[in-house]
Amino acid sequence: MKKKFVVIFVALLLLFVVPAFLSASKGGEQPKEGITIGFSLWTMEFTFFQNLEKGVRDACEEFGYEYIMIDQNSDPQKMVQDINSLIGQKVDGIVITPVDPGAIGPVVQSARDAGIPVTCADIGKTGPVNALLISNNYHGGELAMEYIAKMMKGKSNNSKKVGVGRVQPQWTYARGRGEGFMAKAKELGYEVASEIVVNPPSAEGGYDTMQQIMSAAPDVVGVFFASGREAVGAANAVKAAGKDIIVVGYNGDPEELQAIEDGVLAATVAQQPWFIGYESVRVMKEILEKGKEYEDAEVPVKVELLTPDNYKKWAAEAEKRRGAPAY
Amino acid sequence: MGRLNSRGERTGMKEKFASRWDSYGLPLLFIVLLIVFSILAPAFRTSFNLISNFRFTSFIGIGAIGMAFCIMNGDFDISVGSMLSLVAVLGSSLIPVLGGVAGVLITLLAASFLGFVNGVFVTKLRIPAFITTLGMMFIYRALAFIYTNNTPVYISDKFWLFIGNGKVLGIPFAIILMLLCYVGAFVLLRKTPFGRYVIAVGTNREAALLSGINVDRTKIIVFMLVGLFIGIASVVISANLGSANPGMLGQGYEFQVITAVVLGGTVLGGGDGNLWGAFFAAMIITFLKNGLGMKQVGSYWQLVAIGLVLIFAVAMNRIKYMLLGTKEV
Repeated sequence: MKKKFVVIFVALLLLFVVPAFLSASKGGEQPKEGITIGFSLWTMEFTFFQNLEKGVRDACEEFGYEYIMIDQNSDPQKMVQDINSLIGQKVDGIVITPVDPGAIGPVVQSARDAGIPVTCADIGKTGPVNALLISNNYHGGELAMEYIAKMMKGKSNNSKKVGVGRVQPQWTYARGRGEGFMAKAKELGYEVASEIVVNPPSAEGGYDTMQQIMSAAPDVVGVFFASGREAVGAANAVKAAGKDIIVVGYNGDPEELQAIEDGVLAATVAQQPWFIGYESVRVMKEILEKGKEYEDAEVPVKVELLTPDNYKKWAAEAEKRRGAPAY
Repeated sequence: MGRLNSRGERTGMKEKFASRWDSYGLPLLFIVLLIVFSILAPAFRTSFNLISNFRFTSFIGIGAIGMAFCIMNGDFDISVGSMLSLVAVLGSSLIPVLGGVAGVLITLLAASFLGFVNGVFVTKLRIPAFITTLGMMFIYRALAFIYTNNTPVYISDKFWLFIGNGKVLGIPFAIILMLLCYVGAFVLLRKTPFGRYVIAVGTNREAALLSGINVDRTKIIVFMLVGLFIGIASVVISANLGSANPGMLGQGYEFQVITAVVLGGTVLGGGDGNLWGAFFAAMIITFLKNGLGMKQVGSYWQLVAIGLVLIFAVAMNRIKYMLLGTKEV
């Protein structure tokens, strides 16, 4: 009995210590010369963020920077601790894709007090950072509405009602998608008959929200879901209900491209996560190497409408750049 | 401590080992951790990093105090994460009206009140603590969403921010606050009749009742203590983040504090416990995550490591009892 316990004890000890040592051999111990970029990322769970991370990593490789990435695990407390630890490691620049943009204020301040420039890759920020690289969300929403209006031309159904599945209000910048969509709807003479925050932000949440929209406004002709998986959920709800409603998504996630291929989703507004990641390091390079001033600058990144006509070409280009299939 | 084994002269040594593990096991584990990561990662041993980690320990460290009382008392509270979020948004939203000091006081009062509600449900309605607090977990979180309309509250009040980010004589105030909380809780647990009641109720509810202890009142006060410490933790955490976000704050917090308490040597089911154990456990969890993060160990592997340390510590307790020749606690 006792021996068994000793064995278990030693095994556990080994299991715990070994990963630490294994990773030690991976490097990170090199004497510090050159420039080190620390990257704190929301999560690696979604393709969008994997592509964004690839963009940051590719840029660091291209510019010859040392690269440290810490995953926030979708936890704002961990995010703050991680960024603090990057400050402690005296990195030269910090790139953040924050899970909770409202919660980076104090820690970004202490980074900048320590003379470390900060750029945000996507999502948003509070308080001053050097630069925020983010998709032109408002324009993306406008594109979605324009597409719905275009598709409705010449159709016998002349209802002018549309619906919106909005993103969580704390995603301040992503809210612009819904706002752009609604402004465009008004401009084109459409009425936003139902507008619901998708909760939880998932495919199931999208499905659920779409059902609510269909009961609240049975005669909507088109809906815009301001995030990828949610839009796929919504499109499936429309399909299950056997209705003819145009569903447009946002992101350009693999699930969405698949849904376009399957004819379930009408279109999506694609963001360019790889490019956002790459640009956030390029801006950092300008700050660090050329001494260029960036103070609380917002750098919009282009979005693109993907329809059954052009999504394949877009996906192929994305694949070439990222080295990973877009879907 | 435990029974003597009557088989031979080595018993004394085993006894010694067992009691030493009780007092020094976790501090020792913590020191080993410090040494290992100091060797592996030069940035780990900088005073900036060590002090930061000490400060971040207060995130779970303070919340773990109330939970330790609750578990020693034979109960559980899994509503603490939602509670933390609700009282943080409530207190911080009142800053513009009442000011920072009143905001903090209201946060603490509201948290104690929510604890009181939990306690009343558990004692007077006889709903098991697990069920009550599971229900409350949903309710408190939902109320936080409803109250704020799912929009974060930004905090700019100096007093509030000071609690999480300020320094006194160069020492982060959150560290001082955490240590004060632990000393206060230790005195309450070990030097007052109430502390003995908590242990007595946790050990054997019926016996406690027969010996004249007001079991219900003890339990309600324990749940209020859980609330109070969650209130303190919520101010520290939201100050650190500079905002109170109804959806993000305290997600999974209940499991972090329960992990700290259990890793600290407090036995589920109640009876006895170890406050300083919870403190060192919170330190171990925080420093371990930081060290592994610095070595670029993926965050999922970090969770694996914490799980293993937890199981390791509990296994050590088993070994202790085995050496003592007793089967269970």
